[in-house]
Amino acid sequence: MNVIGTRTLLKKEVRRFLRVPGQTVLQPLISTTLYFVVFGFTLGGRQGDVNGIPYVTYIVPGLVFLGVANNAFLNSSSSFFITKIQGTIVDLLVAPLGPTELLLGFVLGAMVRGLLVGLLTWVAALVFTGPHLVHVASTVLFLALSAWVFAVLGLVAGIWAEKFEQINFFPTFLMLPLTFLGGVFYSVHALPEPFRTISLVNPVVHMVEGLRAGMLGLDEGAPLGLALLGTLALAATAVAHRMLATGYRMKS
Amino acid sequence: MEPVLEVVGLSKNYAKQAALEAVNLSISPGEIFALLGPNGAGKTTLIGAVCGLVKKTSGSIRLLGIDLEVDPISPRRDVGLVPQEINFDPFFTVRESLELQLGYFGRPADPARIDELLEALALSTKADQPTRALSGGMKRRLLIAKALVHRPRLVFLDEPTAGVDVELRRDLWSYVRKLRAGGTTVVLTTHYLEEAEELADRVGIIDKGRLLLVEEKGALMKRLGERRLEVHFRAPVATLPPAAAAGSLSADGLTFVFVERAGAPACADVLGALYAASLPVADVNMTPAKLEDVLLRVLRSGNGSA
Repeated sequence: MNVIGTRTLLKKEVRRFLRVPGQTVLQPLISTTLYFVVFGFTLGGRQGDVNGIPYVTYIVPGLVFLGVANNAFLNSSSSFFITKIQGTIVDLLVAPLGPTELLLGFVLGAMVRGLLVGLLTWVAALVFTGPHLVHVASTVLFLALSAWVFAVLGLVAGIWAEKFEQINFFPTFLMLPLTFLGGVFYSVHALPEPFRTISLVNPVVHMVEGLRAGMLGLDEGAPLGLALLGTLALAATAVAHRMLATGYRMKS
Repeated sequence: MEPVLEVVGLSKNYAKQAALEAVNLSISPGEIFALLGPNGAGKTTLIGAVCGLVKKTSGSIRLLGIDLEVDPISPRRDVGLVPQEINFDPFFTVRESLELQLGYFGRPADPARIDELLEALALSTKADQPTRALSGGMKRRLLIAKALVHRPRLVFLDEPTAGVDVELRRDLWSYVRKLRAGGTTVVLTTHYLEEAEELADRVGIIDKGRLLLVEEKGALMKRLGERRLEVHFRAPVATLPPAAAAGSLSADGLTFVFVERAGAPACADVLGALYAASLPVADVNMTPAKLEDVLLRVLRSGNGSA
């Protein structure tokens, strides 16, 4: 294991997004906060409580999740894709960095960005709702696993994509519908059938509910969310590792 | 001494096209080896297969004594590559790029080494500039610095001086010689045949994926190089001495041309014969053998015997 190499790649990934904080941290923080203000206060004001929790507080875990998932995904996908496009992938391929080192460097770097945006979103929410953190360990576990899963999925997308159009495919056609229909702004249990059952197929629903269980203490199925996240993490990591090991779309 | 690189039966096929055909090559420690050939001959593919950028179709590669099939990662700690295509990460400065590259190779921070390379490659004044602010030649030099920063035992220079001005090119040649003196093995591809002629101990010629020839440069030049002797006379000459019979006399009897090839008489012997015969020599012109001519002859004949 090339520990210095992995640490260097991680450091490079973090420095890279910190060089453009307006684009990588502030912009997502502002959009998520706007969701919070618009959905939580303007529209949500008429919503009343959900499961005994004020609506504006109810949506905080979902918005934190949204910030973590989107930014972890975007960081690894865009960083890896740009590394391929600008040719600096050669620097990594000729170095003694195996698939594990490459995976850890890119994924941990993306997790740092995702968790940083998630943390800042939560801090921004505190101003409006006050602190709500019932189960710290469970919350941290859900956030870390969500960041890992979406960072790995971003890496898979970055390895797979060969054109700018393809790199936007996942966020637009997959991430956006799954997160918006994933119970970030509402409880899927309040939906009429068959929409409730259909929604339960969406893995994001269980991730958001797991985080809600951790942050707000709501019993919305944390064990199922954890199992789902764990399975997704293992499957996505296996796919990404295989792609890196075989040099898929990196080596001719 | 064990070769630093040993390639046996290496082939690479793209769709239906063969980029490398059963290439065998052995590189000894401490030598400068020039791999020459036209565009698309397979030079970069061969280097790419060794450096982990290209997936081979068949054959074996032993790098620094380790079979890449068994361990493709650890031998890379001691290998450097200057790629043909310029690449740079616009997010980082010149110094940061070198720090990162050193780290990727598992080496701890070494500011003295980075300063030494920046100095050697005339990049000291640009150390804290973003890489996007560098000129094309400077970017090329940064690639060279990146390839050397971890003190590799074997370095591949794929067109290292393309776009670099004459003065810096010569400085770079001195630096390559210094590397060799320090025990580094260098594999070089270049379109400047003068560069190969200046630096190489051995030369390999590749075309259409086949390695046509590998030979010590001096022996190759002797075997396939052609030296041209041109003699001008003050007055027309009618007959030549027997020792100069291999040359040709112009119709007006004023110019004599002789081409020295392996096995033929030497230019010095022919010229001596002209003087011995008391012919009215006015001027003598000698054109030394050129690697460029050797390369063209080998490529035209399609084999190493030319």
